[in-house]
Amino acid sequence: MEGIIGKWLISASFISSIISLVFYGIASREDKEKMIRWGHLFFSLKGLFLLLASAMLVKLIFEHQFQYYYVFNYTSIDLAPKYLWSAFYGGQEGSFMLWILFSCISGFMLIKWTREPYRAPVMFFLTLTQVFLLSMIAGWHSDFLSLGASPFRTIAEEMPNAPFIQANPNFIPADGSGLNDLLKSPWMMIHPPVLFIGFAMMTIPYCFAMAALWKRKYNEWVGPALPWTLGANLSLLTAIFLGGYWAYITLSFGGYWAWDPVENASLVPWLFGTAGIHTMIIQRKSSIAQKSSLLFAILAYIAIVYETFLTRSGILADSSVHSFVDLGLYNQLLVFMLVITIVGLGMFFYRYKELPSPNKEHGILTREFMTVSGSMALFILGAVIILGTSSPIIGLLFNENPTPPEISFYNDWSMPIAIIMALMTVIGQMLFWQKHDAESLSSALIQPLLVTSFATIISIMVYEVRNFYYMIYLFAGFFAIIGNLWVLFRLAKKQPKLIGGVTTHVGFGLLLVGILFSSAYNSPLLDERTSNYNERVLSGEVADEQGFTVSQTVEMLELKLNEPKVLNKRYEVLYSGYTIDNQNRPGQQTYALSFTDLKSGRSFGMNPEVYPMLTTSTQDNIQWSVDPDVRTGWLNDIYLYVAGSSYIENVNNRNAKANQIQPVGLSQDSTTASLGASLAGQGDSTSSDEEAQVISFTRGQSKELGPFSFQFNDFIMVDSTNVPTGKGVGVRAQLDFVHLPSNTKYSLEPLFAVYNEDGQSFTASFPVEIEAYNLSVRFTKLDPESDSIELSIIGLPEGLEDEWILIVAEKKPLISVVWAGTFLLMIGFSISILRHWGRERKMAV
Amino acid sequence: MKPKLIFGSIAIIAFTSLLLYNFGESISTYTDFEKAAKLKTAHVPGTWEPEMEYGFSRETMQFSFHMKDESGKVKKVVYSRPKPNNFEQADRLVVIGELRNDVFYADEMLMKCPSKYNATDVDSYGTQPVAAGVQGR
Repeated sequence: MEGIIGKWLISASFISSIISLVFYGIASREDKEKMIRWGHLFFSLKGLFLLLASAMLVKLIFEHQFQYYYVFNYTSIDLAPKYLWSAFYGGQEGSFMLWILFSCISGFMLIKWTREPYRAPVMFFLTLTQVFLLSMIAGWHSDFLSLGASPFRTIAEEMPNAPFIQANPNFIPADGSGLNDLLKSPWMMIHPPVLFIGFAMMTIPYCFAMAALWKRKYNEWVGPALPWTLGANLSLLTAIFLGGYWAYITLSFGGYWAWDPVENASLVPWLFGTAGIHTMIIQRKSSIAQKSSLLFAILAYIAIVYETFLTRSGILADSSVHSFVDLGLYNQLLVFMLVITIVGLGMFFYRYKELPSPNKEHGILTREFMTVSGSMALFILGAVIILGTSSPIIGLLFNENPTPPEISFYNDWSMPIAIIMALMTVIGQMLFWQKHDAESLSSALIQPLLVTSFATIISIMVYEVRNFYYMIYLFAGFFAIIGNLWVLFRLAKKQPKLIGGVTTHVGFGLLLVGILFSSAYNSPLLDERTSNYNERVLSGEVADEQGFTVSQTVEMLELKLNEPKVLNKRYEVLYSGYTIDNQNRPGQQTYALSFTDLKSGRSFGMNPEVYPMLTTSTQDNIQWSVDPDVRTGWLNDIYLYVAGSSYIENVNNRNAKANQIQPVGLSQDSTTASLGASLAGQGDSTSSDEEAQVISFTRGQSKELGPFSFQFNDFIMVDSTNVPTGKGVGVRAQLDFVHLPSNTKYSLEPLFAVYNEDGQSFTASFPVEIEAYNLSVRFTKLDPESDSIELSIIGLPEGLEDEWILIVAEKKPLISVVWAGTFLLMIGFSISILRHWGRERKMAV
Repeated sequence: MKPKLIFGSIAIIAFTSLLLYNFGESISTYTDFEKAAKLKTAHVPGTWEPEMEYGFSRETMQFSFHMKDESGKVKKVVYSRPKPNNFEQADRLVVIGELRNDVFYADEMLMKCPSKYNATDVDSYGTQPVAAGVQGR
């Protein structure tokens, strides 16, 4: 019942939007006040219907009405209320609703503040975009046309052919499939709304540009469009930041940016919008660049629609790690994109001849030239990224089944563009606030250049930068920071309200410097043995057992309980156990690691987590998900996650056994190279291995295992005559064994042998039985490099095996600078919004 | 024509051709194991073979599994990092790396996990007993 009401509300909203579109269209042509009123009426009705439909969807979600597919698919009974809220926009359909709601709010503000002659056409184009967006959720189906996917469709409508629906059409699942655990994060709750506010706001410069083209008033639109563009950019930037930060602290790829198509798609509208802001500002000041302002305002919105098309049509299926479904909206999205593009660019070129041209040339050393060049650089960067992101389409020019470009494509092109931009920001800002000729500009630049050189050299020394290209890049980055700070201080004294722009440029410089250090100088934290191994791999010295050179380095390491390791000669890390938590995420382990910085003597703890993915795990098949811990510092972040542990392996093995599937053991695999020169125990280790517990010892170490104590004293070399196989070499481990309760002592000497047969080498180990305690001890592995051995012991009480974890740890320098740069950009944009918005409001009254 | 215009056009054409050339160089094509043998870096899409042995080896610090490519060939894949999140969930994988000696060494892996979003997926019901899930309206 509620679902039907919901569908009707969306349909009513859709129809109202079409009616208001018609009224606004007539009003734009004939300038009739009455028509505009009618348009406003239906515009408001549309908003009202959509709001009610949204409320209905929220109600269904909170009432757990799982017969609705949307509710079933994105929520579950145990979901916390805050995530039930965010489930409203967790799926495609709901996120369209949220987008349109924000677009409506902007529409009401436009109704209030927009002046003639733009009023009617601005609303016409805004409504046009909303008609398209509403069509995506209309859910109208007939034989020849299917329009949109309704958020109110039931499971029966969604999959009429599923067996359980055929058996019982009124089937209602007892629980929903829930929200993906990775998305249960406060960052992911606010990321989508912020993004859609940005999308909604970026529509408005497009509408103003189109209105300007329609009404042939090419100058006045920039004033009201500018604060909207700034606002849109602030929102998009915030959304990109939230997404990047979430990815950094939640996912295991260990970064904030990966040039993933979905990330790129959010960056391009921002770059085009920023290009538009530059030309709009200079258009207001100097009455030039009318063409570019119009073009960028149009392109920024086209980029948003194009992004929507790419991410929601399923076209990126193979190239993006993000999953988006094809809801069957491909054609609709394509039409949306084509209409927005053809109408936008078509109008632009239709009017092109009569668009104002600059009446005089501006020299290179003018603020006009620098600002327009800056926007061109932003545009080119955006275009390069669009090209890379469009690889599934444009790549077809090159081959039939194109992959995304390599990351280096993006880096290679964006770095030089960023360097040019960074240099231009300073010169541009200097010229923006003061007229200069070549001579006066040079003298004004002397001091900033000196400080820049100093900062660059210091950073090159501290971070041991060896790459000449990076040095130039760093110089440009520091120049942008310092040069713009110079301008900022001067300006802040005279006109503190105007510092928005220059603040963003300082932020841009910080961003460049931070990005280089945090990505190019990001280093894995490894113990000495692993780094030695990696060095040998890099110099091509490591071969696997078939003689092929190993090319993959190892970037993780194993920690045993209470056995410290020193990482990068700098940190001593100790694993001291885990706790199981069933509160938040049932079955979650929190691992306790403590780090001691050997340089400063300071120590700190890190607590990475591993948990079963609720939505996809079943009792006997658990899918583990990692939750990294990040220690944030001013100079370095330490990023760490647990990639595996003895606990997880035990749970998995137990489940595997319960499922009658043989546990998976790969240690005897012949095609993979062993780490280091360890001699893996092969040969006779087969069936009895299952029950054995493997304990490792370094020479001289003793361990208590339940009621027993083992101490590994030394190796005893054995010559071939004493090896039972009759050939090869053997080693005995000299062990002291104590049964603690009775203080009974034994001396054990299990044997480990290596021999050759038919050109292949085998190892063998021979059990030593301690009949009194029903123990069988075998010496199964020898590692001369670390002077350690492994014993496989059968008969120990359960749960006494070695406890270990695998960690991946990275040291990421100066990520804080990336965030600082982003925050400065946000602050700068906010200052500019206040200034331009304040001015527009005064004019509107 | 003005010299400025000519200069500008040449610059734009040069930039665009260089960009497109470089773009063409940096993309490759999705392929199968057979053709991957001839490539330095190959992108091979396929599906995981859960029946065959897989797992992370502490010995070699590698995750390995078997994958069936689109022409039906099964090969062992070695990945020198821990098992990625969602590995079992993925109904499609893309491994990026090099095929040597019948083993594919993946430097990168992409998982395509549609279950959460895919409209036609009914698997998520499979684990729930239908009877327990039925409620009266």
